Amino acid sequence: MEIIEVQQTRREFFKFSALGLGAVVAAPSLIAGDAPPSMSVYGGYTKNRVGSLAQLKKAGEFDFSYPDESALCKAVYVNNEVKAYSIICTHKGCPTIYNKEKAMFECPCHFTKYDAKNNGQMVIGQATGALPRVLLEISGDDIFAIGVDGLIFGRINNTVG
Amino acid sequence: MALTLNDRLPIPHKNAEVKNVTCEFCIVGCGYKSYKWPLGTEGTYKDNALGIDLSQQQPTYGDWCSERMFNTITDRDGKKYNLMVIPDKTCVVNVGQNSVRGGMMGVSTFNAASPTKDRLKEPQIFRGGMLMETSWEEATTIIAKVYKKIIDNDGADEISHKTFDHGGGGGGFENTWGTGKLFHTAIGTASASIHNRPAYNSEVHSSREMGIGELNSSYYDTSISDTMVVIGCNPYECQTNLFNIHIQSNLDGSTVANKKQEFDKGESIDKSRIIFVDPRRTASITNAIAIAGKENVLHLQIKPGQDITLMNALVSYIMEQGWEAKEFIKNHTENFDAMYKVNKVSLEYASSITNISVADIKKAAEWIAKPKPSGHRPRNAIYYEKGIIWGIKNYENVASIVNLALVTHSVGRVGTGVCRAGGHQEGYTRPEYTGPSRQNLAVIDTDIIEGKYLVYSIWGTNPFGQSIATQRLRNAVTKRSQIVKDAINGYHGNNLDELADIIYNACKSGGLFVVDIDIYPTQSSERAHIVLPAATTMEMNLTSMSGERRLRLSEKVMDAPGSAKPDCLIAADIANALKAEYLKAGNKTMAKRFEGFEWKNEEDSFKDGFAGQGSKMASQGGSTGTLATYKLLRDAGNNGVQLPIVKVENGKLIGTRLNYADGKFGTKSGRATFLPTPQPAMPKQVAKQVKRYKYWVNSGRINEVWQSNYHTGRLEFTAKRWPMAPLEIHPNDAKELGVTSGDIVQLSNDYGSTRAIAIVTDAVRKGEVFGAFGFQNSIINDLCTDYVDPDTKIPFYKGTAANIVKVGRSEGLIKDMTFLERA
Repeated sequence: MEIIEVQQTRREFFKFSALGLGAVVAAPSLIAGDAPPSMSVYGGYTKNRVGSLAQLKKAGEFDFSYPDESALCKAVYVNNEVKAYSIICTHKGCPTIYNKEKAMFECPCHFTKYDAKNNGQMVIGQATGALPRVLLEISGDDIFAIGVDGLIFGRINNTVG
Repeated sequence: MALTLNDRLPIPHKNAEVKNVTCEFCIVGCGYKSYKWPLGTEGTYKDNALGIDLSQQQPTYGDWCSERMFNTITDRDGKKYNLMVIPDKTCVVNVGQNSVRGGMMGVSTFNAASPTKDRLKEPQIFRGGMLMETSWEEATTIIAKVYKKIIDNDGADEISHKTFDHGGGGGGFENTWGTGKLFHTAIGTASASIHNRPAYNSEVHSSREMGIGELNSSYYDTSISDTMVVIGCNPYECQTNLFNIHIQSNLDGSTVANKKQEFDKGESIDKSRIIFVDPRRTASITNAIAIAGKENVLHLQIKPGQDITLMNALVSYIMEQGWEAKEFIKNHTENFDAMYKVNKVSLEYASSITNISVADIKKAAEWIAKPKPSGHRPRNAIYYEKGIIWGIKNYENVASIVNLALVTHSVGRVGTGVCRAGGHQEGYTRPEYTGPSRQNLAVIDTDIIEGKYLVYSIWGTNPFGQSIATQRLRNAVTKRSQIVKDAINGYHGNNLDELADIIYNACKSGGLFVVDIDIYPTQSSERAHIVLPAATTMEMNLTSMSGERRLRLSEKVMDAPGSAKPDCLIAADIANALKAEYLKAGNKTMAKRFEGFEWKNEEDSFKDGFAGQGSKMASQGGSTGTLATYKLLRDAGNNGVQLPIVKVENGKLIGTRLNYADGKFGTKSGRATFLPTPQPAMPKQVAKQVKRYKYWVNSGRINEVWQSNYHTGRLEFTAKRWPMAPLEIHPNDAKELGVTSGDIVQLSNDYGSTRAIAIVTDAVRKGEVFGAFGFQNSIINDLCTDYVDPDTKIPFYKGTAANIVKVGRSEGLIKDMTFLERA
């Protein structure tokens, strides 16, 4: 329920227009990890527990933020696999919306689309690459974020925010 | 460059050199800023060239440099630099946004440790059985000696050439002038053809003959139109920021305030609408629906080749309803009756031919011409591009659209226009072409196949993937080039005069001397005897004109690799070498023809051509082009000036937003001329393929791949995303063929056979497939017939047929592809 509420808020929050500056990457703090972070194998990153595998399998998706609170991410369960991405479109920084039926992240600003099954590859659009992929470690029921592969929009490096 | 997990991009130093760069790719010509600063130095989070706090997450639409906007470069003095090329917020064309293509300008620059490493660096000559490095002097001397012999003995027309005539990367006014002056007046050959087609012709002869230049409006006017009509054109993928900025802001209502300001007093401002005429569902269409809702988007899914009938039907219905622009037609046009006598068609007949319902034809006509509640006529921004230009009959295809625009006064009026959407930017200024009239032009590539000409000079293009009947062309040139290669291999000496004789004699025995000027090795260089390396955007100062006639100076940012040079200076080298040969032979008369190439840099060519000739030559600058200087253009930045220039005021260039606002058109009478445009029958070569082969084959561009795929076929992201040409196949056809997405299929017809990766989608209709052009490893044009419009010699690239068979599947090849729905 919490996830759905967050999504509704976000839909209202962003004004989608060709030129508008209404949409801003500055998010309400989501699930920033519910256990104290520890060190990741990747330098500069922490290892954060971001959710439960059982819950993800049931809901199909959940939101979290990583590597810090202003970096919106989403974990999805597709093709019997757990995948997670920064949801911020790397074209102009609009938050994408997850189309569960198509397993596609869709940007409402300029229609860039990314394949959730295939490492966030750009299906079509004006970004110049895939969605940044959140690297995960799964231990029992715990899903940990341990790094991000690809530069998150609006950052000179991923851990700057 | 691929960042590893904990890398960061270097921070641009506050003293970074900042330059204006116009995107080198599509005609929209978005503005970018380049930041260049020494490698090993950088700014700080808070003190940097971008003037923003980089320790913070930047907001949506904020300044940002993606990994692919960045590169490290090396200048000729060996000094290394960081380079960022990011979209310019102050540019009115793109307002800080990038397309996928422009967003990769950084990574497209030359870097010896990156996928661009195989840029051509030094001149090469075929000796000892291989292409090997040589000096500029030796390379141009050989060219001059062979050309001279041909001019003297056989006539200049035996030197055939295929040369770019556009703006943007590798083009520009400097380079079209240099190459045009070399071939048209110095060498004096009429055996010419243009980069993307087999003859030397306009793609829009009919529009010009009707008195209407093809780029007569502005993107601002599109953004305040009532109805946009997009015919045979997919702007989201081919003119991205025309769609994402100007069409989108109109559809989402962001421009209502501008409409209030620009429209007549009391004129209704309705919800804007858009009509697409396209045989397939494109991303432009699905995105327009997402913006404006289904009720404001009309997709006329036309049967291929029937656009003329549709345009004639729209005109007929508008006339029947009395919605035509009576005053405008009476006062500013001519030949209406002759046009309407031929073009009048019933909606029922048109519907049966075009596969579009009568109701939809009526709806389109209403959106285009039915008076608004206030009684004002709708303002229409009409665009057409390659679906029309490369269509069944180029001349009438274009003319039928201009007829519709004239009937509805959709030109020269605020918020209107009837424009080609465009491919590359433009940049044409050349001495007049003195070849035959458009009906009698030589079709160079067909002639080459038939054994004509002694030289094939290929400049900044790759005809072997992008002409008609390309498989036949490749085979013919391979064979004819080999005759020359064998002769060179048989010569055991080092005398350039003897070598030139050997080459000349081989050409006289069925051979073909191939000279290739390009930035990368291609299928042309494989067949060439001399290869010369050219500079491209950011490696030279280069002026081009966009789809709204916006002239900009894209500045030099870095050195070209090796000793590569701007094309205009290469042309000058060849001309000067010919002059020297003629002087040596004591022929002063001929030597004089090669004078006027004493250029030290590209600005000299600009001053001589665009700014020097005015209306004395065929120039898109017209008579007031003479007012332009590099300094004024540099000051005008990425917003430049819209041609024609009106005047210079307080050091600023003042241009023209909308052409024909005075109602005077480019004909003798000053009236725009209607043209009769009867629907032609299917050309016989194409009809034969349709009869013999099952699938109609359409072709076109995909967003991520530019032209001959020269950069994008190399760059990591795009090369993996599209390892080969995709072919869209309808699910029913796929089922019948036993094909699933990702399979490799082979397509064959009388003209050749090629391969592609199948993408199963209902974006295309059953029985019709769509293949992407430009892939050098899977050439859709191999299936094209040799048909050209007899009136313009423009090909019907979009129309052929083939059989399809699944030949296999290669999981390794497609592992980074995605087959999700694009439209």
